[in-house]
Amino acid sequence: MYFNVKDVQQFEAQKEFIDTAIVPLLSLNFDEQSIKQSSSAAEYLMSLTSFIEQQFKGRLMLVPPFSYTEQTKSGLFVPLLKEELHKAGFKHVIFVTCDHSWTSLQDQIEVIWLPAIPLESMDKDVRKTVLEDQLKQVIPILSSKWSQS
Amino acid sequence: MSNNRVSRRQFLNYTLTGVGGFMAAGMLMPMVRFAIDPALQTKAEGQFIQTSQKIDEITDVPVKVDFTFEQVDAWYKSDVTEAAWVYRDGDTVIALSPVCKHLGCTVNWEGDSAHPNQFFCACHAGRYEKSGKNVAGTPPLGPLDEYEVSEKDGFLMLGKKIPNTLV
Repeated sequence: MYFNVKDVQQFEAQKEFIDTAIVPLLSLNFDEQSIKQSSSAAEYLMSLTSFIEQQFKGRLMLVPPFSYTEQTKSGLFVPLLKEELHKAGFKHVIFVTCDHSWTSLQDQIEVIWLPAIPLESMDKDVRKTVLEDQLKQVIPILSSKWSQS
Repeated sequence: MSNNRVSRRQFLNYTLTGVGGFMAAGMLMPMVRFAIDPALQTKAEGQFIQTSQKIDEITDVPVKVDFTFEQVDAWYKSDVTEAAWVYRDGDTVIALSPVCKHLGCTVNWEGDSAHPNQFFCACHAGRYEKSGKNVAGTPPLGPLDEYEVSEKDGFLMLGKKIPNTLV
């Protein structure tokens, strides 16, 4: 499910089935040296989360990414965000990011950290294989979460 | 002076009719063309999409075949990749849509080792038989959709999504 009107309506009707929220945490960096790398990481994170959404459409909702820069990062209260999503009816809230610093919050939130892979230089087939491999790392995390409940 | 000279009145009549006729035709022709245009449109060739799967390499074990087509959404064009589970049943090739009929997840062939020879949806443990028939007692309420199948130069072509015809 995406965060759009059609899917949200379906979410409201089928709350017992759609119990997981996927939240991308997206780091933006506009410095001249890092802007290209930052955009590459953003592209990777958005492709990967859409791919996860496609595979598990009926069980999770992909929330629009929470974007921040180094300066505004401290304004992002991720554990609070998690609470709000729990209140909205999501039993599992999983954060996906390419920014390693979030792993320090691992005792408070469920975070999947994946190092960014530059997809832009790959052709379509390679890109798909890479995303499939990355998905295989995410699936065990999801299924262990789901089997707990 | 010859006998069949054209009078001034006749000359004006001829020229006015001629010019008027051209003007009327100039207005009517495009209108007629617009009116019959839908009938003249050539149909796009059944909308079959070429895949990279060779027909004679398809066995009775379902394999996932990806195919990409261009989707035009108003002025926004995007490449959409979809997949199909393709297998051979006797002489016919069957292509099933991997989209679970419950809430739209992607199903996998033998995705659950406890249930071999079935399609499995990891989201809510939905199961389908090989024909796409949903297993009673699991969440899905209908069979998997099917793709129209065709062949070109030995390669598999997939067409429109249609309701399952095997069940």
